[in-house]
Amino acid sequence: MSRVMRRSTPRFKQWLTSAFRGTVMGLLALGALVGCSPVDPEPESAGTQTLTKLITAEQYGNSLAYIFGSGIDAQVRFAPVARNEGLLANSLASAGVSVGQVQTIQGVASSVAKQVMDIENRNHLVACRPESIDSPDEACATQFVSKIGRLLFRRALTDDEIATFVGQASAAVKELDGKELDGEKLDGFYAGLEVVLEGLLIHPEVLFIVESAEPDPNNPEQLRLDAHSLASRLSFFLWNASPDDELLMAAENGELQSPGGVERAVGRMLESPRLVDGMRAFFDDMLVFDEFKTLSKDATIYPEFTSVTAQDAREQTLRTIIDHTLNKDEDYRDLFTSRSTFMSPALAIMYGVPAQPGWAPYTFPEDSPRSGLLTQVSFLSLTSHPGRSSVTLRGMALRERLLCQTVPEPPPGIDFSVLTNPDANYPTQRQRVAAHLETPSCAGCHRITDPIGLSLEQFDGAGGYRLTENGATIDATGSLDGIEFDGAIGLGEALSQNPALPQCLVRRVYSYATGGPPENDARAALNYFNEDFAAQGYQLRNLLRTIALSKAFSLIKNSPSEEERLLATTSSR
Amino acid sequence: MSQNRTASKARQLRSPLRTLALFITTLAAASAATAQSHLKDGRIGYVLTERHWAIHETEARTECPQGMNSRGSRDLFANQFPEGGDVERTVVNTRLMIEGYQYHTNTATTDIYDSLPFYEAQGNVSHGLNLDGEVSADDYNSPAGEEGIDNQLYRALGCIAGYRKDGPYWFFENDFMINNGYNRWMIELSGVDDLVNDDDVTVTTYRGLDSLYTDATGEGFIAGGTQRVDARWGQSFVEEVKGKIKDGVLTTEPIAQAKIPWSQPGVSDGYHIFKDLQLQFNLTPQVAQGLMAGYVDVEQYNHRFRTNWAMHHQNYGQSSSASEYAALKRLADAYPDPETGANTAISGAVEMTLTQVYIVHPDQEMGSE
Repeated sequence: MSRVMRRSTPRFKQWLTSAFRGTVMGLLALGALVGCSPVDPEPESAGTQTLTKLITAEQYGNSLAYIFGSGIDAQVRFAPVARNEGLLANSLASAGVSVGQVQTIQGVASSVAKQVMDIENRNHLVACRPESIDSPDEACATQFVSKIGRLLFRRALTDDEIATFVGQASAAVKELDGKELDGEKLDGFYAGLEVVLEGLLIHPEVLFIVESAEPDPNNPEQLRLDAHSLASRLSFFLWNASPDDELLMAAENGELQSPGGVERAVGRMLESPRLVDGMRAFFDDMLVFDEFKTLSKDATIYPEFTSVTAQDAREQTLRTIIDHTLNKDEDYRDLFTSRSTFMSPALAIMYGVPAQPGWAPYTFPEDSPRSGLLTQVSFLSLTSHPGRSSVTLRGMALRERLLCQTVPEPPPGIDFSVLTNPDANYPTQRQRVAAHLETPSCAGCHRITDPIGLSLEQFDGAGGYRLTENGATIDATGSLDGIEFDGAIGLGEALSQNPALPQCLVRRVYSYATGGPPENDARAALNYFNEDFAAQGYQLRNLLRTIALSKAFSLIKNSPSEEERLLATTSSR
Repeated sequence: MSQNRTASKARQLRSPLRTLALFITTLAAASAATAQSHLKDGRIGYVLTERHWAIHETEARTECPQGMNSRGSRDLFANQFPEGGDVERTVVNTRLMIEGYQYHTNTATTDIYDSLPFYEAQGNVSHGLNLDGEVSADDYNSPAGEEGIDNQLYRALGCIAGYRKDGPYWFFENDFMINNGYNRWMIELSGVDDLVNDDDVTVTTYRGLDSLYTDATGEGFIAGGTQRVDARWGQSFVEEVKGKIKDGVLTTEPIAQAKIPWSQPGVSDGYHIFKDLQLQFNLTPQVAQGLMAGYVDVEQYNHRFRTNWAMHHQNYGQSSSASEYAALKRLADAYPDPETGANTAISGAVEMTLTQVYIVHPDQEMGSE
């Protein structure tokens, strides 16, 4: 114990003290939660690495919206990152920021700072009033910097940091005194705050989420996320935004890591409307919806597929998922067989149905060829070529995005002419892709992709329904891992019963939550999550809770580098 | 299926590449049609997506052997107030007088600009329908050879540049129809057993509430959109008539009197009144294309024209409302006034393209198909 106290940060010592003051009720609640679970307790876990991750544009924007309100226009665009094992989120820890990107972000920061200090906004966004608008006011500047800096940095600023920023504001007031910008006289005090706010918004600690660890008081040999890092990891995972004031307060006063503290925090976050933002971001990433930004279709072949169609297709699937998993708390697997969705007028054209203005719930009738996400325009159009469908892309997407399987890249020097040649002897995709299976170098992979894609062939490259191709009736029989069926509805049913489907979601959610692909030693934790997910009816909210409260989420591996860093930090203090 | 919005676009499409593209588009649409008919429960709706007065034009302009009418503002001003003339050129006696003629003459039976020649369309060929079932001396033959075509409006307007292809009325009346929700006109066929042959269908006209859906090029329109019926302010546009479909062509019995929305943006209540209105459309699951014809109420035509078209449109259309009003009165061929005996309506026809939409009635549930 003394060793722990010696190695601990002041924040950790505060926690340790408050931990002993934890209420009996909290312990009882925790015990009840564990006791109710029909699954064996979570196995020992090595945890994950602490990471330093680049904040995403959406996270940056969501955080600014929380801090300054949605009235502040922050058109944030960051450079894209590479997808790693199914998720963009897995690459954020290896992403950097170039000088050019910093300039772009600075442009956003400048715009946001200007809007916040604009006369129409500052009276409600800057809580205090300066003694004089033309001169520095350290007390008011300190109040603003402390409050906003804490939310932006995801921790309380130190006295030194506050003093530095306030000093910069005062210096800026003097420097800008009497000057004009774009013909407008700069209001001294607010102009000074604007300069400082712009600096805060591009500060490395704002743009990068820096996680740090501390010894676990329950097992001093084991590290865990410190309270602020835990708050950030939870918040970016569940809300896709920085921690709010309440979560930060819980981290600061020790409540978060006190008995029952994290359960209360996670419970609040799971019931918050902001969970929708978080899960939309997750599924957008998992389903590779970033590709909608560059999706285009040949307007002569698919004149009905417009940019609005693409935008609404993405929105339809996200609305469907959120409604199914969060509003109704239904079985995740049923997303692939459910006929319930949402419809917009532009999208209704693709589906051949009438629609109300705006978005409205819609249920495909029993005799409709559509049910489940695989028959939505988003999946079908994203996994097609600009001018035709693709059985291979569709099969590959299903395996990689929904089953977490890897389909190898094609060997070099492939002759695609047989697929693209409009030979009248091969009117349908089934006949054209048969060449795949006749070529040994292709057959291995195409056997696991094409039978899936062929069952979706009654949907063209834009997602429209069709019964024929080039005058020939489409044969939509297919198979998935030994289960044979006829058409997309059969595929959805087969997929929903495939054990890899929920396991893939578990794997992706855990990766997304912790910021990187699971390492081999996470297998036991993943097995535990899988069993728990099944035992709780494959309900997403329960999965999120289980992962967020798990040791695998919050424990940190005792890597040498981490220990050295901790020791260095402790000795310097 | 997409339809082109302007003549210039139509010309572009005549290039071989565009023709090929259109062919591919048509094939794609036809393929979709086989899988998904828009005819549901015996109903199919179409919304108006292109509309022009039916003016028969030849490349050599043989229908206007004397040339086009010249009644732009400059022509009128020069005619009324010649250099060195007797009239003192005051604002009241020049500009305001011209504007008064353009907008406020409502009793003229003769053209106040009759010192300028007015050229009527010549020849015996015109688009339109045989409205009275007779073949008479003033009737035309259709381009396909059908006799007895009634279209005296063409005789009046056929040599005015504004009504011919690419003229301001030809273009803007269509453009404003597309972009002004007031003009959303649609038909719904009910009781349809077969879209190719059915001798008993019902056609109902409505005004719609929603925007049109353009295709990915932004130049054409997509079948499969939704239009809600304007049940609140659109009642005066609702008419019901019996019709039949033969070999894919819909014809209707006459509607005694129909009001068709025809308004400029920002100008409310622009419409035409057609008496004995008939429809003749080639039908596909995606498009209804053909003619709407009837006897156009001259006074309402004049009122709509003068309250919807600005001076500058009339100017670069080489058009004068006062002259056209006089021509319409002169050539009117139906519905004589009981007291004066003067005809009050003129036969006319409109070329139309309507694109399939799902028509949603106010009490209709849309939770599922």
